[in-house]
Amino acid sequence: MTDTVLDAPVIKARNLSKRFGKFRALKGVSFDIPLGRIVGVIGANGAGKTTLLNAVLGLSSYEGELSVLGFNPSKQRSALMKNACFISDVATLPKWMKVSEVLDYVGSVHPKFNRDKAMQFLARTKVPQDKKIRALSKGMIVQLHLAIVMSIDAKLLVLDEPTLGLDIIFRKQFYQSLLEEYFDEERTVIITTHQVGEIEHILTDVMFIKDGEVMLEANMEELTQQFIEVMVEPGKEDEARALGPIMTGTTFGKSTYVYKNVDREKLSKLGETRRLGLADIFVATMTGEGQ
Amino acid sequence: MKTFAALVKREVLDGKNGYIRVPLILTGITLVLLILSTLGVGNISYSNGMEQESIHNFGDIMKLAADGDLSEMSPAIALLYWATTALTWVAFPFVIFFSLLGALYEERRDRSILFWKSMPVADWQEVSAKFFTPLILAPAAFLAVVIAAQLFTALYLSILMMFQSGPVLDLWPVGLMIRSWFTFFAHYLLWMIWALPILAWLLFVSSFARRMPFLWAILVPIVLIVVESMFLRTHVIANWIGMHLGGWQEAAFGNGDYHIQGPGDVMNAILGEVQMDGLTYTLANGQFWLGLVITAGFILGAIAMRKRAI
Repeated sequence: MTDTVLDAPVIKARNLSKRFGKFRALKGVSFDIPLGRIVGVIGANGAGKTTLLNAVLGLSSYEGELSVLGFNPSKQRSALMKNACFISDVATLPKWMKVSEVLDYVGSVHPKFNRDKAMQFLARTKVPQDKKIRALSKGMIVQLHLAIVMSIDAKLLVLDEPTLGLDIIFRKQFYQSLLEEYFDEERTVIITTHQVGEIEHILTDVMFIKDGEVMLEANMEELTQQFIEVMVEPGKEDEARALGPIMTGTTFGKSTYVYKNVDREKLSKLGETRRLGLADIFVATMTGEGQ
Repeated sequence: MKTFAALVKREVLDGKNGYIRVPLILTGITLVLLILSTLGVGNISYSNGMEQESIHNFGDIMKLAADGDLSEMSPAIALLYWATTALTWVAFPFVIFFSLLGALYEERRDRSILFWKSMPVADWQEVSAKFFTPLILAPAAFLAVVIAAQLFTALYLSILMMFQSGPVLDLWPVGLMIRSWFTFFAHYLLWMIWALPILAWLLFVSSFARRMPFLWAILVPIVLIVVESMFLRTHVIANWIGMHLGGWQEAAFGNGDYHIQGPGDVMNAILGEVQMDGLTYTLANGQFWLGLVITAGFILGAIAMRKRAI
């Protein structure tokens, strides 16, 4: 939470909509994202995540009111990009360019790019400077792209499926360096990914999207405290059912019950309790029972 | 300015095959042919009316020519150097054509547009760099290669001349050569500003075509021309395109009274009167200004398309 109320949100959306023909990809969503957050935008395929982020980045038109770092993204994309950065998809670096040429280019068009910093990041990788992007592996391309965006002193970084198709080691390193070497109170990072489990420990906030609507906007800490899963001891099922679980299931022959906003001490009498993972919270919320 | 320079540099890097390798290779081929021909045919004896006892080689020809009218010989030498680089220029229109057609198309196809758009560069800057790099820098690069080739040719022939004891200095009409280079570029610029609506059309096609920009660029005008001639039995569009692609020169220069009687007159006309005639004709021509308006329309269209492109 930012302490000052005066701090304008990094992103302020009011009644934001986007149509593709008759299809409404965004149905009038409203939200605020303040500075100093790592927000996970979670939703199924086609839920409107990328549509939302494209609007925020000035990559597409939209209806409604949208202000990003005080700019109107659809009209002021180039001004916005001085303070915002994004990686959309894994393979967008120009394949015909050499690594050093890409760095030269960013250095001459971006006033907030620190080339020395980028070189430090790259020194830790095996990315060769004199090779063309075409010759790099997928993992190296992502390392290079991340080195570039982390060397840009921006307020907002948007990552849309930044690690798609990478192996687990690269993915772990990616989020680790993002958290340890880039993120601070002066920046906001927005991430979408299908591998929810890998990012939940770095998120401060989440936003669930379904069918073009924001279903839930919550602080990560508060959200995970609300949901508790209990592995109910045999014989206490009736008691467990009486407390109104939002989901039931069985694990290793034992009944599991998921509760939302039920006192933890009460639940611990039923059996072993644990916090629910973000992926499960997402499923519980989206299937309707958790609302 | 720094941004624009970086964009132009990127375009040159992207197009270096067309802008630099193509002229280098074609010029290289020409020079190799030139060297082979002089090595193999040291005794030039097949040319028209030259089967005389006294002419055994290139040096003899030069001596004979130098004895004649030098005011004709120097321009003839300068024109000869241009002629040896003709092959290089054949490729030039193709390089411009495909550069413009791919300019805004390839970045969408390989998705690098998402990277370019993550930089603080406005769409109008991107589009202008992609329009002006092939139009200005490509011909400059071609001309630089051609100039180097002309100097090489002169140097090579000079060495040859020393062995054949001909007049070496007459192979260096330096003043004429330099003036011809500048004039060539000036004339190119004039030619280009006439062709602007056509060139801008190519860029516009590259901004909207989802696939096969080549077909879009060619078929749309062809269909328009065919439809016009079928229904209206006129050829306004075809004539208009022809005029902007170079047809204007006939009207601009066709009435000129240049008294061409030899290489000297050709050179004088090219270096002097023609350019001024061309410029005055151009600036006074309504079609030319209409072309500029259409150019602006296509460029604005390309910028609008790029704003929405992902």
